[in-house]
Amino acid sequence: MAGDVLFVQAAGRDTRPGSLTMVLLQISEPGEPTASHHSRQIALGIDLGTTNSLVAHFDGTETQVLKDDAGRAALPSVVYFGSDDTKIGYAAEPFSVTEPANTVASAKRLLGRAREEFADDPYLTLTQGGALAFSTAAGDKTPVEVSSTILSALKCRAEQHLSGNIAGAVITVPAYFDDAQRQATRQAAELSGIRVLRLLNEPTAAAVAYGLDADAEEASILAVYDLGGGTFDISILRMREGLFEVLATGGDSALGGDDFDRAITDFWLAELGLTQPSAIQRRVLLGLARSAKETLSAQQEVTMDCRALDIDCAELSLSREVLEGLVGSLIDRTLQACDVALLDAEVDSVDRVVLVGGATRMPRVRAAVTECFGREPLCRLDPDQVVAMGAARQADVLVGNRGEGEALLLDVIPLSLGLETYGGLVEKIIERNSTIPVARAQEFTTARDGQTGLVVHVLQGERERVEDCRSLARFELTGIPPMVAGAARIEVTFRVDADGILEVTAVEQLTGARSEVIVKPAFGLDETQITEMLKASYEFAAEDMTARQLAEARVEGEALLAGLQSAMSQDGDLLVVDEAQHLKEGMQALEGILAADDPQAIREMTEQVGRVSEDFAARRMDRSIQSALKGVSLTSLDADQTEERSDS
Amino acid sequence: MRLRRKLHGLILEPLAGASARDYFVLFHIEPEFQIDMAALERAYHTLLSQFHPDRFAGKPQVEQRVAAQLCADINSGFRVLSSEVLRAEYLLKRAGVDLAQAEKEGVGAAFLMTQIALRERLESADSAHPSERDALSVEIRDRYNASRDAFASAAEDERFKEAACYWQEMCYLSKLRDATRVRAA
Repeated sequence: MAGDVLFVQAAGRDTRPGSLTMVLLQISEPGEPTASHHSRQIALGIDLGTTNSLVAHFDGTETQVLKDDAGRAALPSVVYFGSDDTKIGYAAEPFSVTEPANTVASAKRLLGRAREEFADDPYLTLTQGGALAFSTAAGDKTPVEVSSTILSALKCRAEQHLSGNIAGAVITVPAYFDDAQRQATRQAAELSGIRVLRLLNEPTAAAVAYGLDADAEEASILAVYDLGGGTFDISILRMREGLFEVLATGGDSALGGDDFDRAITDFWLAELGLTQPSAIQRRVLLGLARSAKETLSAQQEVTMDCRALDIDCAELSLSREVLEGLVGSLIDRTLQACDVALLDAEVDSVDRVVLVGGATRMPRVRAAVTECFGREPLCRLDPDQVVAMGAARQADVLVGNRGEGEALLLDVIPLSLGLETYGGLVEKIIERNSTIPVARAQEFTTARDGQTGLVVHVLQGERERVEDCRSLARFELTGIPPMVAGAARIEVTFRVDADGILEVTAVEQLTGARSEVIVKPAFGLDETQITEMLKASYEFAAEDMTARQLAEARVEGEALLAGLQSAMSQDGDLLVVDEAQHLKEGMQALEGILAADDPQAIREMTEQVGRVSEDFAARRMDRSIQSALKGVSLTSLDADQTEERSDS
Repeated sequence: MRLRRKLHGLILEPLAGASARDYFVLFHIEPEFQIDMAALERAYHTLLSQFHPDRFAGKPQVEQRVAAQLCADINSGFRVLSSEVLRAEYLLKRAGVDLAQAEKEGVGAAFLMTQIALRERLESADSAHPSERDALSVEIRDRYNASRDAFASAAEDERFKEAACYWQEMCYLSKLRDATRVRAA
């Protein structure tokens, strides 16, 4: 049964118009939303970067990037796992030379990745659970754990600066991150005890940082050129009337400022005639290359002290001209991606260009960007901080500190999602650059007579063949009654939520046999591992955990009760026979259980009452759709009439 | 063969995920092929501004869930109505036209021959003179526009069987048109 991987598409589905009859919904007065007045919630914006990480906070008037005791905003994304202690950031950096095996840098590159992709890295190993890990003196550390250590440090910094409870954070990810990488980022946050309000694409965050300050212009097009340490992203956005719409994203998940450093290092190695440098020599050279590159953004020539290499040479020099020759082809690769993104976005020109990432300080990069887009880029905000600042603004909105009328972000999925069909081909279900949230369904059928099960293989990528795409998940649908090939009707639905995380459902239409999966990273940690680690963590003594869970469950339960009470008094006429009675019973039960100290029971009851009220909630939303468009349609009608008048 | 598969994919796409919401009703516009794009965009933005899950931060999860589903519908609806080819297909489905049957009957042999000739010319266009390529792009665009206009008037007169044929022409020609754009870049 499970061997029957093959399935082909079904013939056209009969879509009779019966379900499409025009329905005249009642039009009511716009319901006054009961704004809950609560105290200001603390929300953070976190830029979890490959080389540096930052945390920012919007206090209602301005955005602050939070600094450490020494006044530095950046926290190097480096963690030292010694046998006795763990050091993070600047404190960890010196160990990358003395104890490279115990010092993890750029862990973000490995988040949600498979072992095969990094087979030649001597410091990597596999954990018992099969996850990719760094073997350190403190044991095996997965990229998720390393990232969570960095996030904990940032959270700690925020707690020192701000008084009050941290309600949650918006964490940024490269637009090019695939589903597994997003899930891994989420897990890292969970592990550090941070509630994730939203995973936001880095370029989008940068646009928010700039855009919210800007006057509401008539439809302006914005390009965000983001050359970070490890990744390159280009995004094209449209801003209009408080709406940020991502039109297209593109880029290269394996191209960044680190590649510039490597190009310089290789150049010097050749110049020095060092054919087999030690790991330490390589690290020293990489460090020198980075500071030489940074210095050359301000001057034409630089000379570096290289005695730490311990060879017969004391100085290394580099000119801006040579540097530009070394990185020219890398910069060209970014421009090609820009052209593709412009094409995808179907725009001819952009009104503004925003620069993100330290590498965009290089004069050669700025010149190339200016030439490519035909205009000078904006650089009012620090290109290293702009992402964290935008994330902080968005976090403030998501935590509910600002009401309606605030800018809304419409993001897209960066890579197409599809599944394997007959012959190892990928059938795309959701095309890349689709606005999220999005749901799309397609019908498939069996390929063999009597086939009772099939494997749904979910893939991500733009290529046609399965082996060229990224495998996200595989699950089985069983219980299909034996039929002739092509007779079964299996509807596969892909749903992507506002974080870009995917859920896939397969339903056999005749029997209702159903199977579903929320795509989890294949190389991260599973739920039980996370719970175990949370329990083990010194930050969360078991009692605290229960207390926290109880508080969270109560908040959710109370919100549901309050929401239902006001909904029933406002739109009670939308309740159908018996529904009011069912809801009231459920609400009473929930109210009773809220008093008990059982988070699990509260969650279950909240979930149950939530399900019972789902249809009611949907009807209420349908009603408000009508009132939402009432004003708009009138305006459009007026405009048409004016046009007609001027025509005649 | 590949084109066929893709075309098939279009036909198979169900209306709006699991729900069957009438997109014209949703966006409050008349169910016709000729639509006011500005009005559609305005309605799209108004609906999203109000029903995006971000607007339900702090509200019960059930409301967030319903909002996410509604937003998925709004996004799908906008995608369908803002594309001429998908809008044409949607109007046919809405009128109860059996698209699978229409596809079996196919387009006329003459059209098919022209289409194959155009594709061959397009494939050899890479080596051709730029002016020749431009002329080909213009020709493809004009042919697409002609099929589209023919669809519009057939649909308006409710000659749906005929319209289904023009819709298939639109599918073929829009793919060729997109291919010329990719090559131009």
